[in-house]
Parts: sequence; C-alpha cells; structure tokens
Amino acid sequence: MRGVPFDRELLKGSIALLILKLLSERDMYGYEIIQESVRRSQDAFEFKEGTLYPALHQLHKRGYLHSEWRTGENGKQRKYYGLTVAGRKAARRSEQEWFSFTKVVNAILSKANS
Amino acid sequence: MVFFYKSSERHTLEGKLVTHLDRIVSRVILLAKLPGNKRRGEVEKELRAHLDDLAEEARSQGYDDEATARIVRMRFGEPEEVAAAFASVYATERLANRIFQASILVTVSTVAVVVVTGIVQSIAAIFTATSVISTLRGLHYELAGFCAIVAGYCSLYAGERLFPTSLARALLPSVSLGLGLAAVLGWLIPQHAALPLAAFACAASGRLLQRIEIRLIWLAGTALPLLIAWTLFGPLIAGWQFPWLVWLGLTISCKALREIVRLFERVFVEDFS
Repeated sequence: MRGVPFDRELLKGSIALLILKLLSERDMYGYEIIQESVRRSQDAFEFKEGTLYPALHQLHKRGYLHSEWRTGENGKQRKYYGLTVAGRKAARRSEQEWFSFTKVVNAILSKANS
Repeated sequence: MVFFYKSSERHTLEGKLVTHLDRIVSRVILLAKLPGNKRRGEVEKELRAHLDDLAEEARSQGYDDEATARIVRMRFGEPEEVAAAFASVYATERLANRIFQASILVTVSTVAVVVVTGIVQSIAAIFTATSVISTLRGLHYELAGFCAIVAGYCSLYAGERLFPTSLARALLPSVSLGLGLAAVLGWLIPQHAALPLAAFACAASGRLLQRIEIRLIWLAGTALPLLIAWTLFGPLIAGWQFPWLVWLGLTISCKALREIVRLFERVFVEDFS
C-alpha cells in the first residue's frame, strides 16, 4: 500500500490533525512523527518530510505545543514536541471536526454512488 | 527503489554527503529569512538532526553516499518549498522585526543629523559672530529639514535593500516619498518647503553616489540638487548665494548616516543575509 499519491492540499489540511493526534499519545521529535505516521498508515502516507517542521512551528506558535531539546541514548540531541493544555483541546476539537466532516462527505459520496 | 545502488560498506556520515546535507539546511535557512539568530540556530539544528536520521536510515539499508543523498533530497522535499512554508509561519514576526529595526535606524539617524547639523551651525555662528538663538526661532523648519535628510537617505537605503538588483526599482521608495513630501510640505508650509525638499534630494543623491566606488564622488551628490536649485532660482532672488553652510551640514550628515548604516548592517547582519 506504499506511495498512494494523496492530493497535496488534502495532506496539508490534515497534517495539523495528525501531529496533534500523535503527540496526544506521547512526546515525539519530527523524524519520529514521520516514522509513526508511515508505520500506522502501513507506508501509505507519504509527504515531503521537510514540510512537517513549519507545521510543527505553526502549532507551537499557536500555543498548542511545547518543545524541548533532549539527548537520546545515542547522544544525539533532538527537539521533542508535546501537547499543551490548549493543544489537547485543539486535538479533541480537530478530531471531532474531522469525523463529522468525513461522515458528511462519505454520506454524500455513498448517495452519489448508489 | 531499484535505481539506487546499494553498497555493502558501512560509513559514518562524512565528506560529500555531509556537504550535501549542510547545503540543504543552509538553503532553507537562507531563503526562509527567519527572524532572530536563536530561532535560525534552532531550526538549523532541528533540520540537520532530521536529515542525519534520514541519511542514517538510508545508509543502514545499504545505500551508498550518492544514493543516500538522492533519497534524503527526495524524502525531505525541495529546500525552497520548506523555506517558503517557514517564511509564511514567521511572516508577522519578520515584519515586526523589520519595523523595529527600521525605527532604530531612523531614530539614530535623526539624532545624528540633529547633532551634526547643530554642531556645524554652532561653529558657523561662532565664526560669523551671529547668534545661535536666531536659528532656534525657526526650529520647527530646521526639524523639518533634519527629518527630510533622514527620509531622503533612509528611503534610498530601504530601496537598495528591497530591490538589490535593480537601481531603477531601488529609487522607487525615494521618488514616491519625495513626491509625497513635496505635496505635504507644499500644502503645510509652502513658503519654507524648498529647503527641506532640497535637503531630501541632496541626501538621496548623496546616498546614490556613495554606491560608486570612487572616493569623494558622493560629495557631488549632496551638492548637485543644491546647485540645480541655485542655478534655477538663484537669479530670481536678489543676493541669494550658494548655501555653503547647508551643503556642509548635509555632507557631514550624509557621511555620518553612511557610518550608521554600516553599523546597522553589522548589528543586524544575520537578518539581512
């Protein structure tokens, strides 16, 4: 299921939700977020990894994320991101919005296909 | 990914690959124009860590340096695209920074012009045995002149920064501001508008000629507008002589402003890269 070419705009619109959702489980650094999304999507979710960082910074600016540099076991320093209280609320809200939105879109599509 | 050559060798990241990764990060940092050295440093470190992870992943799968560099580039995306996204995230901060920096430049420049011109006038008053108080009577006109010098010089400098590759475009802010100033001063103080406008033109043309790498040619820049004004209107006004003192004040002011601009660029050098 690797490399399904999703529309860039669709990806752009959903990247914040994915970040918030993944970080609601535990703190992660950028590369880890990518690895986790690829793993969960069974390699279907592919996007230019560099664009993750502006999205992380945008969410950080909005006060949804906190960040700190941590040194890993191999001695490498990585910037970990985690959700703030506002970020947790935003994650819940975004998830609800997403489910409502996809429900409506699915309803329209299933009607159109029947 | 069959088009990548797989190597059985294991290396640490070095040589060409490191240069390649550095180049990607530098390009993003250069184009994103992030505000503040600290933020630039953080983004640089963060992106570099990501690229290192990507490269290590590719190397662990057995790809050689060349293939690794291609994989990293492909997965990371174009630096221009990443930089544009960063630029858009920090657009407001960048604008606020620029406004703050411009305010500092204008304030310091105005103070410098007031001090320089004040000193020139005081020395002239001492040598000609005239009272400095007489100058103070028209202080608000003097202030208009000081502000016009700063506006003329700084607007051309702003044009140079905004349009570094086109002189015609670089002149746009000065020309627009000059016309605006002419309209406002002509409406507010029509009797006294000539000198501030001449000061504006002198400072702008002084800055313009300071771009030329010929020593002291810029002195002509401050003299030329005054000379034109004197040639055109001099014969119409009885006893009007070339305003040497004004020219001297303007010239020393332009010299001081040049140094201030240099210092400004040194202090905010990262933000102008």
